Amino acid sequence: MQRRIPLILVLVTGIFGALTFFIPHRTVQAADESMRNDVQRIITAFSLVLGVGSIVQHHLLKIRRKAEHWQYSYVTIAAIAISAIIGVFGGLDPARPGVLPTHIGSFSFHIQTLFTNMLVPLGATMFSLLAFFMASAAYRAFRARTVEATLLLAAAFILMLGAVPLGRMIFGPLPSFAEWILAVPNTAAKRGILFGVQLGIFATSLKIVLGIERGWLGGGGK
Amino acid sequence: MRTKGSARDFWARLQSIDRRWIYLVVWLVVMVPLIFPFRIRPKATPPVEKLFEFIDAMPQEKALVLSIDYGPDTQAELQPMLVALLRHAFATHHKVGVLAMVLTGLGLGENALSQVASEFNARAATHDDSIVNGEDYVFWGWNTPYITVMLGMGENISKVFPVDYYGAKTESLPLMRHLKNYADVGILVSLASSSFPQAWINLAQTQFGVKLGCGVTAVSAADFYPYLNSGQFSGMLGGMKGAAEYEQLVEEGMAKAGENWRLRARGTEAMSSQTAAHLAIILFIIIGNIAFFANRRRKL
Repeated sequence: MQRRIPLILVLVTGIFGALTFFIPHRTVQAADESMRNDVQRIITAFSLVLGVGSIVQHHLLKIRRKAEHWQYSYVTIAAIAISAIIGVFGGLDPARPGVLPTHIGSFSFHIQTLFTNMLVPLGATMFSLLAFFMASAAYRAFRARTVEATLLLAAAFILMLGAVPLGRMIFGPLPSFAEWILAVPNTAAKRGILFGVQLGIFATSLKIVLGIERGWLGGGGK
Repeated sequence: MRTKGSARDFWARLQSIDRRWIYLVVWLVVMVPLIFPFRIRPKATPPVEKLFEFIDAMPQEKALVLSIDYGPDTQAELQPMLVALLRHAFATHHKVGVLAMVLTGLGLGENALSQVASEFNARAATHDDSIVNGEDYVFWGWNTPYITVMLGMGENISKVFPVDYYGAKTESLPLMRHLKNYADVGILVSLASSSFPQAWINLAQTQFGVKLGCGVTAVSAADFYPYLNSGQFSGMLGGMKGAAEYEQLVEEGMAKAGENWRLRARGTEAMSSQTAAHLAIILFIIIGNIAFFANRRRKL
């Protein structure tokens, strides 16, 4: 029963979700709208509670067991608690204050300040590290060992130069050639890959809806 | 003999150079042009030009909808696009609707809207010239799941976003009287660091026929060319270069209309840094290859 109910739910909702695209009748469309606007949102709201509960539980367990880097778990829990309290009770910004005072003198710590001054630089820093790793990897691993690798190298050179205005100064038609590489050979390859991926997604979805693929239930599909 | 040995040492050492030297060079080539920028005027490529021209020629009663489908990690590339698109829409007197598909995009949307609205309001002489929340733009905020949002907006936007980001009832906003669903949208531009633009095609365009454009990071731009070539995207901005090209077109357009404000263009400013970084990486690859082949020849 524990397995049969989720399987029936997936079968019914999966078939219903697909059929609504083909049946324009008002009753079916109204039921579909209710499923999308109400049922899905309720499920998502529950998943939010589940997500927050899960992350807090995970980090509390880490602290209790003194697992590796357990000290950082305090930072995560404190960040969740502080941003939730300020976000819910502190209002959006000084122009729209909440019930909780979010400034000490001229120093403001409302949610938009926290976001702009903490989350934005932290996120940007993490992503910018990619440039350093890419440069290091390009130096160490990007070798013209074979014809294919040489072609890849040549394409990379053209695209890198074409992606900056200096490319046009070096050689006028270079940006147009870079654009052609993206628009023609790249598109041809991408289309082939996309067709394959989409057919794979369709087949897997069908297997899940029909209950053939049961890995999502847990227990390795037994 | 000694010379031959030291040459071998040189190539071997060059190949196994400490990565921190590479990091230092990258840091320098990024930082120095940011501090002492050299102005480069980008020339718009066809995908950027197409998007600009589409928005420019859009009927006044049609709105531009911007979907913030990225977070702070990719804001260096995508935020200049958002700012440039907002400037373009406000300069051409188009109404704007903004939503976020990524939760952390909310703060970025708020930053861009307040920045661009204050740029226009600082120069406004009359109420008609000023940019007013609820009249000229609406910030719907975030909602989930994305399927509900993308399909629901085709029927009734106010139903998907009953209140806006600031807590006002969406239906009560004057702008929403003329912006009911996708039928009132001229184009929806998804600024994304993930596959959200494809979801917009699948759910909003295929179902409701809404015109779409996209602004994506440079690393993912290649993924969206099939949709651009098929006409599913009316235009595309790819990476910092796309942002800089769009900024240039907006600046030229505003100058033609007598609004030569010389606003800060972050995408264009960053082009000098990006140019230097690309050249450095090309140089690294060349040096790395020379060292590799020199070493291999000696081993043979």
